[in-house]
Amino acid sequence: MRVVTLAYVIALGAGLGFASAQYAIAGRPLFGMAQIGPWTSWPRSGSKDIDPYMRAYLVRGVHLPLGAGEGLELIADRDASGQLLDGRCRYLITGTTPTTRGWTIGVTDLDGRAFRLPLERSGFSDAEIVRDERGDLRIAAAAGPEAGNWLPLPTNGRFQLRLRLYDTPISSHANEMRPETLPRIGRADCR
Amino acid sequence: MSAVDQMDPSSLPARAAPRLPWRSRLAGLVRRFALATLAGLVLAGIVHIVTVLLIPQVSEHDAAAAYATLGTGGKAELLPTGAGQPDLRDADPATVTAVCSYDLSAGPMRVVARTGSLPLGLSLHRRGGGVVYAITERAAIRGTLEFVVMTEAQHDDRLAQDDEGETNRELRVVSDTEQGLIVARVLMERPSDRTEAEALATGVACGLAD
Repeated sequence: MRVVTLAYVIALGAGLGFASAQYAIAGRPLFGMAQIGPWTSWPRSGSKDIDPYMRAYLVRGVHLPLGAGEGLELIADRDASGQLLDGRCRYLITGTTPTTRGWTIGVTDLDGRAFRLPLERSGFSDAEIVRDERGDLRIAAAAGPEAGNWLPLPTNGRFQLRLRLYDTPISSHANEMRPETLPRIGRADCR
Repeated sequence: MSAVDQMDPSSLPARAAPRLPWRSRLAGLVRRFALATLAGLVLAGIVHIVTVLLIPQVSEHDAAAAYATLGTGGKAELLPTGAGQPDLRDADPATVTAVCSYDLSAGPMRVVARTGSLPLGLSLHRRGGGVVYAITERAAIRGTLEFVVMTEAQHDDRLAQDDEGETNRELRVVSDTEQGLIVARVLMERPSDRTEAEALATGVACGLAD
């Protein structure tokens, strides 16, 4: 009886312990996440006091996260209304970006890799953008061609938008950022 | 043999007597099961924490291991691309990245970077995850970024060697691991900037400090 109980305790402890650890670090952990409107960021992933879950997640693959003083990466997989980003829809990315030395915005799959689309454009840098009279940002993201700054999307399926701000003073207080300081992702229509 | 079995049957109600041992045995089993589950959950918590903390120590697939041979000749080298090469996750396609792998067991390492017109960032990634230090080209003095990477013990040695009263201009960065990567990232503002970006990134020198 004792052996059975001991076996049960060990099986439960090891099984549940390993499974929950595996689950917690399979993706980007919820710990240390900053949510600014539709954008999520892990400001401490590039600093010395990185939390253990993020650290374990990062060392399981080849990652070189941006250093805290070097830049900040923001990921969006939902639009401003909270719906998941989908290649069948058209999106309008408008607004402003915080003060930076330079920034890029790109379309990736859910693992952070660029799609292999017929057109060789997976993102824009701040220097490549054509701006309106007021200097505001306006990017049309859609699978079909659009006028102006067109960011091609895959024809269907989910995708992510990644905004990388290089050399920005906000990386140290990303938690206090307001959604208005970041580009807005508005859904125009869907097929 | 439980105590109930040894009792005189006449002292107990006739119908309840045979059911008691069965009930108490079941209650004992349930209690034992509950206790074992509780112990299992506590053990699961310990296993969870130990696993998460141990993964960075034992991981052999992180960036520091994948790029351990790059840039050991004193110059940063561009990350290899193509089939069979380590798959760098979450990389910005608009940046050019070069790395210098460091091992401080031979002594402190001096990192010197020349700046150009494109945004350049240098970061120090220790083995086992975590960015120890990051600096951008805005901190450059007369177009040069320079710092010395050392361990805590080497830092103490250098402090002891410093002349009394003399200010030292050297920027010292303490790495809490002996091995790691120095990563130079240059942002290409336009695709045509690639040649310049690659020249900037590979222009980072990283040799022994003394």
